[in-house]
Amino acid sequence: MQDASYEFDAIVIGSGVSGGWAAKELTEKGMKVLMLDRGYMVEHGDYPGEGKGAWELPFRGQTQKAVVESDYFKAKFGGADGSDKTHYFNNDRLNPYAYDEGKDFRWVRPAIVGGKSILWGRVSLRWNATDFEANKKDGNGNDWPIRYEDIAPWYDYVESYAGIAGNKDGLDELPDGQFQPPHPMNAAERWVQGQFKSNVPGRHFIHNRVANMTEDKPEQGRSRCQSRSQCARGCSFGAYFSTQAVTLPAARATGNLTLVPDAVVTSLEYDEAKKRVTGVRVIDANTKEAKIYRSRIVFLCASTLASVQILLNSRAEGRSDSFANQSGTLGRYVMDHIFRVSISGEVPGFSDLIEYGRRPGGIYIPRFRNLRADQKDEVDFLRGYGYQGGAGRGPKWPEGFGADMKQELREYGPWRMGMMAFGECLPYRDNTLTLSPTKVDRYGVPLAVFNVTFHDNEYKMMADAKQEGIRMLTAAGLKNVKAEQREHVPGDAIHEMGGARMGHSPQDSVVNKWSQAHDAPNLFITDGAQMASTSCVNPSITFMALTARAADYAVKQVQANVI
Amino acid sequence: MDHLSMNRRMALGAIAGAFGMTLIPALARAADPTTSELGFKPVKNVFTPAQRAFVAAYSERIVPTTDTPGAIAAGVPSYIEMMLGDWFTGTERADFIKGIDAVEAHAKTTRKKSFVKLKPALQDEVITEVMNGKVPGAGTDFFYASRQLVVSGYYSSEIGMTVERVYLPVPGRYDGDYKYEGRVFNG
Repeated sequence: MQDASYEFDAIVIGSGVSGGWAAKELTEKGMKVLMLDRGYMVEHGDYPGEGKGAWELPFRGQTQKAVVESDYFKAKFGGADGSDKTHYFNNDRLNPYAYDEGKDFRWVRPAIVGGKSILWGRVSLRWNATDFEANKKDGNGNDWPIRYEDIAPWYDYVESYAGIAGNKDGLDELPDGQFQPPHPMNAAERWVQGQFKSNVPGRHFIHNRVANMTEDKPEQGRSRCQSRSQCARGCSFGAYFSTQAVTLPAARATGNLTLVPDAVVTSLEYDEAKKRVTGVRVIDANTKEAKIYRSRIVFLCASTLASVQILLNSRAEGRSDSFANQSGTLGRYVMDHIFRVSISGEVPGFSDLIEYGRRPGGIYIPRFRNLRADQKDEVDFLRGYGYQGGAGRGPKWPEGFGADMKQELREYGPWRMGMMAFGECLPYRDNTLTLSPTKVDRYGVPLAVFNVTFHDNEYKMMADAKQEGIRMLTAAGLKNVKAEQREHVPGDAIHEMGGARMGHSPQDSVVNKWSQAHDAPNLFITDGAQMASTSCVNPSITFMALTARAADYAVKQVQANVI
Repeated sequence: MDHLSMNRRMALGAIAGAFGMTLIPALARAADPTTSELGFKPVKNVFTPAQRAFVAAYSERIVPTTDTPGAIAAGVPSYIEMMLGDWFTGTERADFIKGIDAVEAHAKTTRKKSFVKLKPALQDEVITEVMNGKVPGAGTDFFYASRQLVVSGYYSSEIGMTVERVYLPVPGRYDGDYKYEGRVFNG
């Protein structure tokens, strides 16, 4: 397939969940691929915090407050204050966005090859059929040009390879997938599940579905989860899906991959006459040397916000606006899930039982609001939310001091069930990422400015999630049920999506139904930037499926000599 | 002194622990304090020798030696000095040291002896007075902040995690119906 006029058949920008899949699929289909990432290299197994007890970690696992406040003041919202993983996060002082322009936003970024695939929450839930229809139905955002049937086989494909543990629950609102057996519920959760069945009709209390395997994949050199609960430090067992454990080895095995870390992509070179991306402009993070790489096709998978920033900074010769913004939608409709509502309560009984091992996923309560036309919910908002959580026991927290306190700290408190709502955020035209007119970073790229806010629908949804959470756990028989709704700054959920949305036409969107840029058919944007709405489920598995689907299409187009 | 309190998860080690008496070699190794690594290099001295001795004695009363080693064996005094020197801010450090000095002054005024020279029972009386807000310059907030530091240091130390608690770095499986056997798991 190689075309002598290019250095590479394809360049993949970014090596996270989406970039890793793009590299795997394209190399396996015979393309010579260059994968670029702004982060430094972390090889599988070379995980500094892995397997260490707290006493072996700097400051017993908590990075110094002064360092967090000077260098990780945004990344801390993604866990950078843990000294077992601080080294994986973006230095917010050295690599800023425009903190004092626009509105408050939390952009949590990684600093490594593999991106957030090392750090993610691993919850892997499919969108349902109504998720793809919602924009059209209620008139918010634009109609998705694809439906569930278009993506379903690609969910099958990526789930089978990645290894997703989950139970087949037979629910339309949360379609089943290709699952390994679920991580089991504990005694308290099984009791709550039983209580839901008898006392909370219409609400399903099910196993969460996570990309932590319960069965080995020896053909990939990966073992099932060892119940360490140290995922974000990196897992040498390869028990959860990450670029390092899963897609990078596959891409490397083809012999077709060139990986260049420390490569900061600043913009894309665009030929207006040919309507093609002709090059990828890069600055070496260490030497500051500027370079341009060329390929026949480009997969932009730099992560939602970074991909949009790169696109905004990419203009044809003599133009003031991005080549990818013919529709006027680039940098608009930026979204994040609602996130800051949590509910907890005590599960009575089971005082003789505890947990052995630390599980990577607990339980899930799928969306129940606004699901069916005949449903008479009478809620004052559109779309819905789900909850994830679990039950567990922590040691008692006695008063006083001395031998009695020490003895009491050997005992466990009651079983507590905790859960948190994730809800859909509507696409709003005025929720934007733009470029600062005055400030640039150390690579000369204009800083990103965020103007993203939640609106009435999101706040009503949060209030409902809080109220329903209390109601359900109380009806299920839990004691001392409490709820908390904390300040929610967009970006908090680290489920940022949109900004280069998918749509039917070059007038309404940045990419078409194949994640292919309307304004440059050899450019594919397959990360979260392409999302036209958010559903309420965790997004990564959908990015994986859309990326594999786009790669399949792109290779066919190249083979047919169309692009 | 609320700002001195660290998160509870750190204080307790991993909450969702699990255990079994399967780690005997690790327990035996960890029980020998000469082999235990503190996990840090003290960078600067924060205390005078007298304050250092006070912190050791005070820590040992918060988490005493019982059927398992106490705070001193677990290296808690050095941990506290390290945290005050390298982790907390200057104001927090100064507040804490003021608290130490106030308790020492209280011991000398009311018991006519330095805190470290008091018998354990009398040391416990003094600490109880701190806890109950009866000590000028070292109120209840100092008690909770200091207790938090000792408890954090102890339960995140090798002795705390592997001798006092049952260390399960690689459980290998999950059992949500495991019979409680008298100790807390961590990892």
